[in-house]
Amino acid sequence: MSRQLSEIITEGLTKRFNSFTAVDRLSFEVGEGEIFGILGPNGAGKTTTIRMLACLLTPTEGTAFVGGFDVVDDSLKVREMVGILTENPSLYDRLTAMENMEFFAEAYGVSDRQARSKKIRELLEFFDLWPRRDDKVGTYSKGMKQKLAIARALVHDPDILLLDEPTSGLDPRSSKDIRDLMEELSRREGQTILLCTHRLEDAERLCSRVMLINEGGMVTMGTTDELRSQIAGTPILRVRLGEVSEAVVGAVRSMEGVEEVAVDGTTLSVSVYDVDRVTPYLVRSVVMAGGMVQSVEVLEPSLEEIYLKLVVDEDEAE
Amino acid sequence: MRLSKALLVFRKDWREVGRNWEVLTPIALVPLLFSVVLPLIVISVPGQVNTGTSPEVLIESIMRGAPASVMEMLAGFTEDQQLTYVLFVYMFAPFFLLIPVMASSVIASDSFAGEKERKTIEALLATPLTDGELLFGKMLVSFVPAMAITILSFIAYTVVVDVGTYGLFGALLLPTLEWFLLIFLMTPALSLAAIGLTVLISSRVKGFKEAQQISVVLVIPIIGLFIGQGTGALTLGPPVILALTALLAFFDLLIFRFSVLLFKREKVLTTWK
Ligand SMILES: Nc1ncnc2c1ncn2[C@@H]1O[C@H](COP(=O)(O)OP(=O)(O)OP(=O)(O)O)[C@@H](O)[C@H]1O
Ligand SMILES: [Mg+2]
Repeated sequence: MSRQLSEIITEGLTKRFNSFTAVDRLSFEVGEGEIFGILGPNGAGKTTTIRMLACLLTPTEGTAFVGGFDVVDDSLKVREMVGILTENPSLYDRLTAMENMEFFAEAYGVSDRQARSKKIRELLEFFDLWPRRDDKVGTYSKGMKQKLAIARALVHDPDILLLDEPTSGLDPRSSKDIRDLMEELSRREGQTILLCTHRLEDAERLCSRVMLINEGGMVTMGTTDELRSQIAGTPILRVRLGEVSEAVVGAVRSMEGVEEVAVDGTTLSVSVYDVDRVTPYLVRSVVMAGGMVQSVEVLEPSLEEIYLKLVVDEDEAE
Repeated sequence: MRLSKALLVFRKDWREVGRNWEVLTPIALVPLLFSVVLPLIVISVPGQVNTGTSPEVLIESIMRGAPASVMEMLAGFTEDQQLTYVLFVYMFAPFFLLIPVMASSVIASDSFAGEKERKTIEALLATPLTDGELLFGKMLVSFVPAMAITILSFIAYTVVVDVGTYGLFGALLLPTLEWFLLIFLMTPALSLAAIGLTVLISSRVKGFKEAQQISVVLVIPIIGLFIGQGTGALTLGPPVILALTALLAFFDLLIFRFSVLLFKREKVLTTWK
């Protein structure tokens, strides 16, 4: 975290329920304006971590600072500056969307009536809920509730957003809208966002850094690019040729930056560290050695493969 | 604690409660039964009321515990007047203890156990409202409407009884000193006790229905009072009312200290079932 001060800092954060360890010594930092993802399978401890950061649960061990305040000693301050999307939408079914928003806005100290109305309208309009604002939330669909819950998390312009599975229950278009919104919030308003998800797509598209956790503990952490190269090794260039000759294979093998070459029929699979730098030269060498390049394809491991590999490996190791 | 924040919770809960017929139905029907329907039946069919004991015994036993001034007055009444007096001034009193107990425990069940059951409690606990503000707001919403309905019922009962018995006495029967003490001292203390107990119950049960079912036990001591009066064991005159109120106030203190300990964010979220 060289660029900015950190908005969230945890050190050995641990939560035990009786003898069961739900979150196990997590240490991480989230910088201002950063979108940080916690990724993990069901029961990994994502929700428990968020609850500790939102001062809903007290850590059994370790410390956490949110916005510069200790979650144990200054919990009121932390709660004031944090907007949270809980795992359940946690909305009052018997109240209308407006009434829900009004209540939470006031609870978060947005006391100016006009500012409050303006903000609520803005949010409800953004989430396409404005026409349904006077309907009881009990009549809303799952996705509408999720949107309203996100709107509620934003009602007091929090510096820090804690989002537990923000796109769960949303259709692809709404998911995209929310991802776009989060990007904008982090970029334009400098809001710090920590989100939990088991949807790799979200983490991949959105997060500058990701922490992978399993059974409470950290498996790995880094930027999505770092994770890719760290775990799945080097990306692979798949070059389809008219026909394969010794000369072509030899030429590719001897190139700088090429790790390994495998031949399968008329296709070469070339492991390279730096795809962008090597590809043009590789194509040139092949052509100069008399090969006919029909297509070049880059195979980068997706976060999903990394995720499955790590989580499954870890489980098997036990 | 910021009172405005507690009131915010109060208003929010009141809105929710006001839209739940499972809460509103008993709160509307029970007081109507005791303050209007039953008195009307007693008035319109005099002498037909079966209290389980003969009128003589009933009058006897009540008079034993009534203040001297009341006994003097009763001595000058006809038997009809005596029975009517005893019924409306003394025997109906325990029913009026049921109203605040029922109302506050139904509302508190919805506000505490219900909110937990509907899983709305987490977002509420994530707000910068303090535990004290949340607890106070929720107790207030269980207390204020319960007291309001009790007082309204008392007014309705007084009117019904006075109109219905004016022919017999040529004077107004109600209100009496014991009824003032009952409604303005004892029922608040009793309502608070019911709320405190419902908070405890709410922390141990899954939801509104279960909390409701269990808090029915609160009715038992009140039935005890009713039987106690009928058998002459005690009379709900001013001394007894004051003594019971003091006892309840002491109990309120204990149970509130306990509620405050129990209503902590983390506990509500994890150890409350
Ligand atoms: N109040 C509690 N008491 C006991 N155990 C708990 C409690 N809350 C969570 N746990 C346990 O802690 C572990 C982590 O739960 P958590 O809800 O944090 O997982 P998660 O990563 O959010 O999972 P999901 O993706 O399913 O939401 C689980 O095994 C869960 O059973
Ligand atoms: Mg979860």
